[in-house]
Amino acid sequence: MNAVGAEVWLAMVTCFAAIFTQNILLTTFLGMCPFTSVSREVKTASGLGGAVIFVMTCTTLLNWLAYRYVLVPLELEFFRFILFIIIIAAFVQFVEMVIDRYSPKLYQSLGIFLPLITVNCAILGASLFMVIREYSFIVTIGWGFGAGVGWFLAIIAMAGIRQRLNESRIPEGLRGPGITLIIAGLMALAFIGFTGVLN
Amino acid sequence: MSPAKPTRQIMLDGLWRDNPIFRQVLGICSTLAVTNVVLNTLVMCVSLTLVTAMSCMTVSLLRDWTPKNIRMMVQTLVIAFYVIIVDLMLKAYWPQMSRNLGPFVGLIITNCIIMGRCEAFAGANPMRPAFIDGLFSGMGYSFVLLAISVFRELFGMGSLLGYNMPYFSTAYWDNWIIMVMPPGAFFALASIIWLCRSIKMRETKS
Amino acid sequence: MKDKPYYPIIYMFVITAFFSSILIGLAQLTRHRVEVNEQLGFERAVVQAFPEIQYQDNRQIHDIFTERFEKDDRIGAYRYKKDGQLAGYAVPFEGQGFWDKIRGIIGIAADCQTIRGVAFYEQKETPGLGARIDEDEFRRQFIDKKIEYSDEPIGIVPAARTLDDNKVHAVTGATQTSIRLEALMNRDIRAWLDAMQAKEITP
Repeated sequence: MNAVGAEVWLAMVTCFAAIFTQNILLTTFLGMCPFTSVSREVKTASGLGGAVIFVMTCTTLLNWLAYRYVLVPLELEFFRFILFIIIIAAFVQFVEMVIDRYSPKLYQSLGIFLPLITVNCAILGASLFMVIREYSFIVTIGWGFGAGVGWFLAIIAMAGIRQRLNESRIPEGLRGPGITLIIAGLMALAFIGFTGVLN
Repeated sequence: MSPAKPTRQIMLDGLWRDNPIFRQVLGICSTLAVTNVVLNTLVMCVSLTLVTAMSCMTVSLLRDWTPKNIRMMVQTLVIAFYVIIVDLMLKAYWPQMSRNLGPFVGLIITNCIIMGRCEAFAGANPMRPAFIDGLFSGMGYSFVLLAISVFRELFGMGSLLGYNMPYFSTAYWDNWIIMVMPPGAFFALASIIWLCRSIKMRETKS
Repeated sequence: MKDKPYYPIIYMFVITAFFSSILIGLAQLTRHRVEVNEQLGFERAVVQAFPEIQYQDNRQIHDIFTERFEKDDRIGAYRYKKDGQLAGYAVPFEGQGFWDKIRGIIGIAADCQTIRGVAFYEQKETPGLGARIDEDEFRRQFIDKKIEYSDEPIGIVPAARTLDDNKVHAVTGATQTSIRLEALMNRDIRAWLDAMQAKEITP
């Protein structure tokens, strides 16, 4: 196998791992805040999830470029926290403007979620993980996309389950966040079960 | 929020009444992942509490000069400033811990609690109350996460802060492997929220 | 001043410049220390891969490392010299573990067969499970095992199985870490063996 082929293969494995076994939400708990508040309805959850996939894939790549070609040559690696946040915020703002102008319909379904994303720790977390794990550019594509899809899957599944919870009798103190967390724990168990597939 | 809130009340609010974790499960993202070992959690919580207190103080100090429309940017900058200091210090003086915590130190920046306190309290109050408010909000948050980590390390590994505990490290106790894995954090947090909410409900009823 | 339209821009600029300069200063102050720490972590693992070496503190680790170890790029490993004679090789290995990268060193005697020891300088496996590969109990098992010149120079097998000369017991409950560790160690040891053979450096 040539070098690029090996990289692409690695990117696919990373993508699969990011979706299931290393799900950014269920194993590292990033993006919990919108997770508990937005996961009440499947429709809103899928809107937010879609926006996360898109923004996460693009910003990890942008941040990879910024890190590799700006921060490393300048020896300012510790500035990545600030630079990544600025890039994420600017990107989200830019996308919001573009779809507002060219596709009002998409703006209505996706646009309202974009501001929420800037403060989503999963987005920044994905970029920080990418730096620490020293991913190459191709692997970063797989990672950013996979992490986004993993988050999407988790929030959709949660919203689906929570819609049914409305009818159930739950102890008073456990209602709301409590029961959400227990379900998330059960989901995390199921997702970790995919580990064996990776060999 | 009235500006003349007595110090004692600020402390109580941060620790118990307005505790952000029980109320809305806010801000756990950056820390929950490292709660499988008490020591990591402790370092993370101390960092977070210091960053919150110092950021609140700085935001409060700058409040008269900061234009309203760019205040979020200024707050992010201030928070990031303190987080980078913590990150640099850990890297230089405690490299092992810095490796253990990995990206989670950086993720303190996106912790909703800090931004929330800066926005809700520090932006409109003098430095001293702002500092105390930040400090005690951070502590209220820390005590929940520390409780989780004690739970997880003791049941999952039979030790606390790395020291083997009597009974839990003997053959009488089977380590709950699930507790050191990620799902354990969800279950531990859910139990603690359940407990505290139930106590609170009794409080409000009586 | 405050109601001028350009005030926010100047304000943001001043405040960014102020905080950034403090950070850059701090980073300069700590940079050297950070680099030393990183290098030391690696050197410690190399030295620990030969448990016969005694040392007291970090300074001594560095002295021992520079004195007795010598990098050989042809084989991607370090030669270990004792009393002026070749006494073994420190072979680095690295790869993806269950959660994150695992990096370590395996010390192999000059006969290219007997394992002297194993040490890790980076791993983020689950505490209490996979992370126990870094504990003495697991690492000590490797001492005096013999690597095999095959696709699987070493083996990490479940605790119930009996051990061959090149196998050690896995940490119970850490199946994934063990599988991956075995694979990545084997790959890098094998690459080193091949390089040794190609250069005809040893028997």
